[in-house]
Amino acid sequence: MKRLAGILMITLACAADGLCQKFYEDDPLIREPIPLHVTNAASRKLSDYYDILSHTLATPGEKHTKGVLIPAQGVNTLGDPMEGAWWERRHYWRRMSAEELQRGPGNERPPATDGPWTVVSAKTEGITPGFVILDRYNRRYFIKFDPPSNPEMATGADQIASKIFYALGYHVPENYIAYFTPEMLKLGEDVTVEDRLGRKHKMTGRHLTEILSRVHRGDDGRYRVTASLALPGKTIGPYRYYGTRRDDPNDTVPHEHRRDLRAMHLACALVNHDDSRSINSTDVLEDGPSGKYIKHYQLDFGSTLGSASDKINSPRSGGEYLFDWKKAVVQLVTLGFAVQPWARAHYPDIKAVGRFESEKFDPDNWVPEYPNPAFLNRLPDDEFWMAKQIVNLRDEDISAIVETAEYSDPLAAEWITRCLIERRDKIGRSVFVKVLPLDRFKVNSGFLEWVDLPVLYGLGEPLEIRIRWAEFDNKREVSRGIAGATSAQLPTMKEGGYAVATLESPRRPRQTIRVYLRKRAGNEEVIGVERTW
Amino acid sequence: MAVVIAASGAHAQTRTEEIERARREKEASVQPERVSSFENVMLQFKNRKIMERVTAGYNGLRAQIGSMATGSGFAAGPDFLREDLADGRIRISGSAAISTNLWQKYQAGIVLPRLGAGRFSLGFDAARRDYRSLEFYGMGIDSSRRNRSDYRLEDTSVDATAAFWVARHVRVGGSFGGLWTDIRRGNDSELPGTETLFDDSSAPGLFSQANFLRPGLFGQVDYRDDPAGPKSGGSYVAQYTLYDDRSLGQFGFHRWDVDVQQYIPFFNRSRRIALRARMTMTDAKAGQRVPFFLQPSVGGSDDLRGFRPYRFTGPNAVVYNAEYRWEIFSGLDGALFVDAGKVMSRAGHLAFSDMEVSPGFGFRFNARNRTFMRVDVGFSHEGTAVWLKFNDPFTPLLFGAATRQPQY
Repeated sequence: MKRLAGILMITLACAADGLCQKFYEDDPLIREPIPLHVTNAASRKLSDYYDILSHTLATPGEKHTKGVLIPAQGVNTLGDPMEGAWWERRHYWRRMSAEELQRGPGNERPPATDGPWTVVSAKTEGITPGFVILDRYNRRYFIKFDPPSNPEMATGADQIASKIFYALGYHVPENYIAYFTPEMLKLGEDVTVEDRLGRKHKMTGRHLTEILSRVHRGDDGRYRVTASLALPGKTIGPYRYYGTRRDDPNDTVPHEHRRDLRAMHLACALVNHDDSRSINSTDVLEDGPSGKYIKHYQLDFGSTLGSASDKINSPRSGGEYLFDWKKAVVQLVTLGFAVQPWARAHYPDIKAVGRFESEKFDPDNWVPEYPNPAFLNRLPDDEFWMAKQIVNLRDEDISAIVETAEYSDPLAAEWITRCLIERRDKIGRSVFVKVLPLDRFKVNSGFLEWVDLPVLYGLGEPLEIRIRWAEFDNKREVSRGIAGATSAQLPTMKEGGYAVATLESPRRPRQTIRVYLRKRAGNEEVIGVERTW
Repeated sequence: MAVVIAASGAHAQTRTEEIERARREKEASVQPERVSSFENVMLQFKNRKIMERVTAGYNGLRAQIGSMATGSGFAAGPDFLREDLADGRIRISGSAAISTNLWQKYQAGIVLPRLGAGRFSLGFDAARRDYRSLEFYGMGIDSSRRNRSDYRLEDTSVDATAAFWVARHVRVGGSFGGLWTDIRRGNDSELPGTETLFDDSSAPGLFSQANFLRPGLFGQVDYRDDPAGPKSGGSYVAQYTLYDDRSLGQFGFHRWDVDVQQYIPFFNRSRRIALRARMTMTDAKAGQRVPFFLQPSVGGSDDLRGFRPYRFTGPNAVVYNAEYRWEIFSGLDGALFVDAGKVMSRAGHLAFSDMEVSPGFGFRFNARNRTFMRVDVGFSHEGTAVWLKFNDPFTPLLFGAATRQPQY
């Protein structure tokens, strides 16, 4: 009771003093405020076994409850995540040229091949053998290979998926396709290698030979690899898809509610990144304007596009969790005669292409290997935010990105490109019916303008849109309809005043968009967008 | 009122302030990142490679479970395996196992797997077994269940095996070795001894056992996609072994083994039909006989799963198995199967007539595409049998077959 009284008094005071308001002067905030200096962030590892177990048995993180949906957080009033440690506005907001898409996070620092590669650490065992090298400029790279059975598959997938994720705004490392001959390799001093039992040994040429014997070697004697440039700063372990980092003062939004992570579901679906889990991410302590801050990266895209890095991926990849109670019971009871869609998919006989296709792809039912708390919390407006970015990757954009895989078989490039285009369109069609697919709101010559995305991208017919205008009291957060204001033309607004346009379509009565405008310095500007469904 | 003042004083004027305030509040309570105790245990379990160490043991010495003939009860013992000697050019193995029924098995072997640029291998095996209660029902498909008896087999074998990869999927080879056998009274107090129900005419070799030299030849075409957990392809093995009785001159014989497996996947390998035909034929040398304990038998966990182990014994045997396997989830397969088999006095009676049939179902527990455990339930007119095994039911014949002759 005491608490209720307190809340009531605060509310009344807010209303009276104008302290509570929907929009602030600096809305919409495009970029996060300068992060606080992180003083004591330590490196820690996460257990992937625990991750699988805990997420499969009881997915952690805060979830929606019946009738109460938790909207995405970490977004500005336009519904976009703010640029910063997690994400940046890229291709959708400022169209990237083919060269920019191909460059991704950078293309100026490939490993130098006119000097030795000094091996400074390696792993001979594990799913994917590899090692870490320093090139002649002392730059550090993580070297990853293709499996002998599928030349160019993992390295090609890594290039394409990392470039797509970059275009979609995520932070990714600079990954290069590089070629080397065994003669270029030089063992560093006191390099140790861990055997399959975890015992450390002084690394010898035999260990290198052993690694190279398990990976693909080209007919010309060279090895094709992904060379991933070490990230700047200190890596401090992966992030989780739920909760926040306890040692990061800037990490205030539970990850399962971050729009950039919720919506990443569709980005992963596009490239079949079923390995999208914590251990394939990393937090890095980097220099910022006010000191150190933690930046969040996506890593390891070798297990995408139907590749599982060391082999082609399982056909169930993306179609089903590793373990799903309900689906397991169905299979048990039906003796396997309930055939899942993924089991009917057809794949090409192209070595550089894993099990990647588009015909059976269903973005709504795509899943990673095991439940992801952020993905599970995604709502239609989260999906719309990602889908609009994905469909903005036009055919020529996708072709340009696929070129970076440097496939020697043109059929591989052709297949991947076609599948990505078709999967992109399926994502658009799937999401654009869940919310009114209008975006890019702006004021032009006294009219509210927008883009009907399905029409723009050839994914649907134009919707009949009806508009209702209202004055909006920002301090009291109430609106009052303006009689007769039912066109795209803006009503008269006073300086410092607010208005809201409610857009509806008769064909989709539950879907609305509320577009908020503010008049400042004589100009009306769009400052907020809210969607319902 | 105090609440209102506090709220007013803390209220942000801009979005930036609002975010910064949240950050400062968190900054006041930042703590080191940590993982839960349970997660840490799991992390260390992986980082310290506990499973790999347990599996690999200490310098190759580890515990072994199973690997003994059906009927032994739960078997365990030390096992030694080093595959890393001389850069993997020498593989040494050894094991000793004892079961809850006190059966014993000892084995030692050395293999040079990568001779001749990896196309040639040479191996030496020695085995000593003491199987204290093997069941015997008499000869033929008409043997009566009421004649269930037991005997004790002790044997020692030494074999050398050479194999040569002719092509990627084809290898041929030969073996040469010796086998010393001894039959005694069985140790199961609830079963009559074989010697009480049978005599030397109905169970040749029951009262006198020979020592054998056994040269052999074999060949295999193997294009299974993953021999440890095949989903497609086939394996075809043929093997001839001459058992030359060097001590009594009474029990020499020829033996032919054929093991054909075919895996037919469908629905993107999430379902498959696994087929196997296994045939063993023996032919006594002129004037000699085939010892009953070296004649093939059918029945048990790997062939006729609705029947007891070694239910049918005869000079010739054939078993057909068909399994429909489907993925229930990525770590568990279901299986429906039909087994059919028989023993016959004359080779060539391979037709499906006079077969004993055993349908059933099972579950295969898999890790990394390997079946590490299975439960099979087989049905027959003699009852229902439930099997818990730690192998694939179609584990193919081993070359040289030193430690699997007779195939228990």
